[in-house]
Amino acid sequence: MHYEVEIDGRRSQVVVHRTGDSFHVSVDDRSWRVEAVRVDALTLSLRLSTGQESGPIVSREVTLAPDGMTGQTRVSVGARPIQVSFSGRRRSGQQASASAAGSGPQRLTAPMPGKIAKILVKAGDLVAARQPIVVIEAMKMENELRASRAGQVTDLHVREGQLVDAGAVLAVIHAG
Amino acid sequence: MELSPVAVYSECDRAALHVRHADEAYLIGPSAPRESYLRIDRILEAAERSGADAVHPGYGFLAENEAFAAAVEQAGLTFIGPTSKAIALMGSKTAARAAAVRAGVPVVPGTESPLGADVPDAEIARLADTIGYPLLVKAVAGGGGKGMRTVTDRADLAGAVRAARSEAGAAFGDAAVYLERRLTRPRHVEVQLLADHHGTVLPFVERECSIQRRHQKVVEESPSLAVTPANRQAMTSAAADVARGVGYTNAGTIEFLLDEDGRFYFLEMNTRLQVEHPITEMVTGVDLVQWQIRIARGERLTLDPARLLTPVGHAIECRIYAEDPDNGFLPSPGRILALRVPAGPGIRDDSGAAAGLDVPIDYDPMLSKLIAWAESRPAAVARMRRALGEYVVGGIRTTVPFFAWLLEQPDFLAARFHTTSLDEILKSRNGRPFVEPSKDDEDVAAVAAALQAVLSPSRGGLSTADAVGAWKAQARAEGLR
Repeated sequence: MHYEVEIDGRRSQVVVHRTGDSFHVSVDDRSWRVEAVRVDALTLSLRLSTGQESGPIVSREVTLAPDGMTGQTRVSVGARPIQVSFSGRRRSGQQASASAAGSGPQRLTAPMPGKIAKILVKAGDLVAARQPIVVIEAMKMENELRASRAGQVTDLHVREGQLVDAGAVLAVIHAG
Repeated sequence: MELSPVAVYSECDRAALHVRHADEAYLIGPSAPRESYLRIDRILEAAERSGADAVHPGYGFLAENEAFAAAVEQAGLTFIGPTSKAIALMGSKTAARAAAVRAGVPVVPGTESPLGADVPDAEIARLADTIGYPLLVKAVAGGGGKGMRTVTDRADLAGAVRAARSEAGAAFGDAAVYLERRLTRPRHVEVQLLADHHGTVLPFVERECSIQRRHQKVVEESPSLAVTPANRQAMTSAAADVARGVGYTNAGTIEFLLDEDGRFYFLEMNTRLQVEHPITEMVTGVDLVQWQIRIARGERLTLDPARLLTPVGHAIECRIYAEDPDNGFLPSPGRILALRVPAGPGIRDDSGAAAGLDVPIDYDPMLSKLIAWAESRPAAVARMRRALGEYVVGGIRTTVPFFAWLLEQPDFLAARFHTTSLDEILKSRNGRPFVEPSKDDEDVAAVAAALQAVLSPSRGGLSTADAVGAWKAQARAEGLR
């Protein structure tokens, strides 16, 4: 199997071949012989070696869980979970389709259920990257939600005081 | 102690650990705190129905509410804490300051009486001039940084007072404020006390709580590296004097500010058990909650006073929150899908988290307190770093990566910090991620994600619904074991 995987925003090609009880896995130009045991529904125990007879065999327990905020998988290896998403999945030998990431309108969504405390822009406003757009109140705190890229606010879907669910689209910003 | 615990809970806490581990459990209302955990009448109904003898208020919600303590007393039950009178007296920041002055304990220079909404701006400005800038505007009923403003310039005073009053009115139902000189680079050092009903007040070795984010403690340790033996003697006796002076009983904490020259000032008293009490338990071997119950039953304190002031080793606590440290500490409520908790010698996890639980948006997002004890501070730091590396919470973001970063900072390792250091550092970081995973870890993550997809061929990776289903299946399987 051949996957195109985005790891913390960086794209990698991952190729998996099953060989008997183990796998041969390559990530871009590095490759391992991997033996995997499922510990529970979200946890794998991996033993990885470079394939050389005398080389070390590394043992890692890895938890893969979807993140409530983004829906993408976060993989716990060390102290910080690593965000992993599949940007394409295909059989070996096929071409990856060009990814649309980074273009198109930006949808500002509520990362959590809460109440819209303030709206800091109007429809039609030009906004800079990281400019605060909406203040959402949840868990007794006010949190600013910012534009990830510069652009023009084309739609505002909420009003102040409104209660919103996680994932609700609050505003749409078209790249300027 | 062979006691039978009874829990009360709100609708969203049905599956919470305190409910699951109690012998009896009573629903007291919807999720909003004012309809459940702040409803004194409903809590007392549950107490009556269960036939409970005593009520422990914990350390949130009504824990420092004198009306609650009084209602428990009037219902003929034992309140496991101080008297309603002591809570009322020490709960007013200005009355508590006066009590400290009476006990001969230094206080930070500030106004002596509450400034209600009727005090004109000109009068406040005059009082501010006598105290000097920079100063703090603080809510009389305050706590947790709410209703607090720093003012460095006379021109900003009126606005800060207005903002503090409005915040204090909303949070505590009391808009009165007072002014206090802001010390430069102070440490927050506090003294735990136990006091019985027979006149004995025993202070414990201090806790260092200077690492704060927006006036909220995030890491605590005991003992403090900034406190000399002479200072420990002076601060702990001062703390006991304040408590004795007001006839205080049960567990309480006196908070001090310690300046760069080793001078200390009474800040306030917390009339309840504190979140950070485990570090005191770890370095003294005393079970504080058990003693709260024994004192409430009328027992005499039989602890050796010298032992309580002589820490064995060093303990550190990290407060693990459902917040995304790489995104301005934005709250991260949601379902905990996976949980792996560190253990081993010297590690303690006081936790409310469990796989499958939803972290509600209605309450403070603290998941757990991770505590590390070892024979020395460097060993405790090393143990904590190991434990943080093993702490896995899937489904939501947590502050674990932030602590992994903090415990590597040279200033933390050298114990060089004061109450606003962390805010200054966070500001200068400008949102950079706290922990950059190594290339090796990223490769392992990619390998694991691909193998997860290969081993579960019907899915191209996990969706949330799949993972929740898988968790339920696992929970059922474990239930059958």
